[in-house]
Amino acid sequence: MVFFLNQMINGLTVGAVYALVALGYTMVYGVMRLINFAHGEFFMIGSYLGYTTLVMVLADSGLPLWLMLLIATAASTVGVAILGVSVEQVAYRPLRKSGRLAAVVSALGVSQFLQNAAMLVWGARYQAYPPWSAPEATWRVASVNISFMQVLIMAVSLLLMVGLYMFVQRTTAGTAIRATAIDHDTARLMGINVDHVIRLIFIIGPALGAIAGVLLGLYYRQIHFSVGWSYGLKAFTAAILGGIGNIPGAMLGGLLLGILEMLGAGYISAAWKDVMVFLILILLLIFRPTGLLGERVAEKV
Amino acid sequence: MSSRRSTRLLVVLVVLALLSLVPFAGAQEPIKIGLQAPITGPWAYEGEMAYNCVKIVADWINAAGGILGRPVQIVLGDDQGQPQQSALAAQRMVSERVVAVVGTYGSSVNDPAAAIYERNKIVNVAYGSTAETLTQQGRKYFFRTCFRDDKQGEFFANFAVDVLGAKRIAIIHDNTTFGKGLAEAALRPLQAQTKAEVVFYDAITPGERDFTAILGRMSLTNPDVVYFTGYYAEAGLIIRQMRTMSIAATFVGGNAAVNDEFVKIAGLDVAKGALMTQEPMPTDLEYPESKAFIEEYVRRHGAPPSSPWPVYAADAFKVICAAIEATGSTNSETLMNYLHDGLKDYPGITGPISFDANGDREGAIYLAYEVFGEGDFRPRR
Repeated sequence: MVFFLNQMINGLTVGAVYALVALGYTMVYGVMRLINFAHGEFFMIGSYLGYTTLVMVLADSGLPLWLMLLIATAASTVGVAILGVSVEQVAYRPLRKSGRLAAVVSALGVSQFLQNAAMLVWGARYQAYPPWSAPEATWRVASVNISFMQVLIMAVSLLLMVGLYMFVQRTTAGTAIRATAIDHDTARLMGINVDHVIRLIFIIGPALGAIAGVLLGLYYRQIHFSVGWSYGLKAFTAAILGGIGNIPGAMLGGLLLGILEMLGAGYISAAWKDVMVFLILILLLIFRPTGLLGERVAEKV
Repeated sequence: MSSRRSTRLLVVLVVLALLSLVPFAGAQEPIKIGLQAPITGPWAYEGEMAYNCVKIVADWINAAGGILGRPVQIVLGDDQGQPQQSALAAQRMVSERVVAVVGTYGSSVNDPAAAIYERNKIVNVAYGSTAETLTQQGRKYFFRTCFRDDKQGEFFANFAVDVLGAKRIAIIHDNTTFGKGLAEAALRPLQAQTKAEVVFYDAITPGERDFTAILGRMSLTNPDVVYFTGYYAEAGLIIRQMRTMSIAATFVGGNAAVNDEFVKIAGLDVAKGALMTQEPMPTDLEYPESKAFIEEYVRRHGAPPSSPWPVYAADAFKVICAAIEATGSTNSETLMNYLHDGLKDYPGITGPISFDANGDREGAIYLAYEVFGEGDFRPRR
């Protein structure tokens, strides 16, 4: 039982991060019907920007740790949001009238570009968040281990997800996003500036990815320019699992994926973990092609 | 009389003209030797150091007049640490008509390349690929200056049982050709003895960062020694997550876990006391060739290579040049035969080098290293 609870906590931590990254995929897909394969790289660059701010700018500032972490996260979020908007402007906007395949290829290109750019800027070596930056506290509640970082990751992710959901459901901008997701042309006829909506999506998605990047950087400490791809793939899987284009679906998919991975690795074998995860994904897609919460969308002809 | 003289002059001029052509055709054309290494990708760090090492050897040889009066030229092939890219890099080497190739670093990456070199009859000398399978396929043109995994596995088994006094041993690998090969090589001798038992044996996926699930399951078996046979990026995370989960077992890493990066990722407080089985580090080599080489490396790059592997690349380059020099030929078959039978106890940077019939290096030099207070690795003597 203790073992099970430990695995659940570990799974929820990783799952919360998958969910944050998956939100970026799902929002872009919802509005643009584009799988943004560069999204994992936003996450990776978020990690690096947080690291750079901490190590180069704040290390000797004498500020309290919580403030430093807050500033580093904010700097990383702003930086990656700017990057997100620029990528949309340069790589996706000119292709909006072209076929979907062109945009996907462009996304893959952006992904390669950002990975290699990160390698040139920060080097091919693994970088590590400095030991003083990550709070080490660990509690033991009835022999279940839970660390401060795990609580922080789950709390921040939960807050962001609830915040995003409220934003999309309750605000005018959120309504515009939902309207654009349903039909660009009709939305435009209703006076919605579709370009603004898309730009907004490319601020929110990458920003969430950046926060996830900083959190995981602090949690594992090790960062590398190649992590974006693997987290991107996992988060993409989570988005599909929950039903791509559906915001609560991405959250559910992320958490479920994290838990499945940990239970698979904990009870079967770590080597078979991914096999199990993708087997479940394939089965789900066979029996419920729209994902867990996805609704069948009538195809426009 | 005058016509005879002018004929003689003409002959002399023609002979002189022909002679002047000879050095143009012969001495100027460089001998191309390939270096296939992960110059970019997750192992770029290793690839960069390997290039630095090979460059020193090539510069020295060229400064001393080259081989057979011809300069040597390094043809660089980047395999990005990936099997697919490895095959492409190998094909490029073939089309560049290199005499021989040094490389590469990862075992699973080396396999497709070695097959291509074998088909095209090009001598290839690996410097970091230690998986047993590479020399079990009857390849004639494949050699390696590093040692085979099973020798390291045997070393670990003896070390864990006799020196550390382990009773319950856990082994984790990463499913790469290299990691799995080393894990199996350690498992075999451990199963053949009765003083200690292997209580846990499983694999992780390289590139991932969360190993809490597998470590949680491992902790249920109460191991006193954990042997991880993968690479440093995961090794650093594993030991750190072990300590966070209050698993106190002694951590022993394989030779790919030894790196400054390991200490950086794990954090010094956690890394301290961790053990590694591995070939001697460049700075612990005590051969006359090694001292001069490491001094030159430090002069050029400010610090010695931080892992043992790049120096094996230098040695691979050296034996290829020695073979060309000794045979006076750049013919692949001649070089291959010489490396198998002719080269005996060649004084390399990493000690005497001879190859057996499979292309494996004879002998085996391993040490157990420990991480000390300042994050420095020192042999545990």
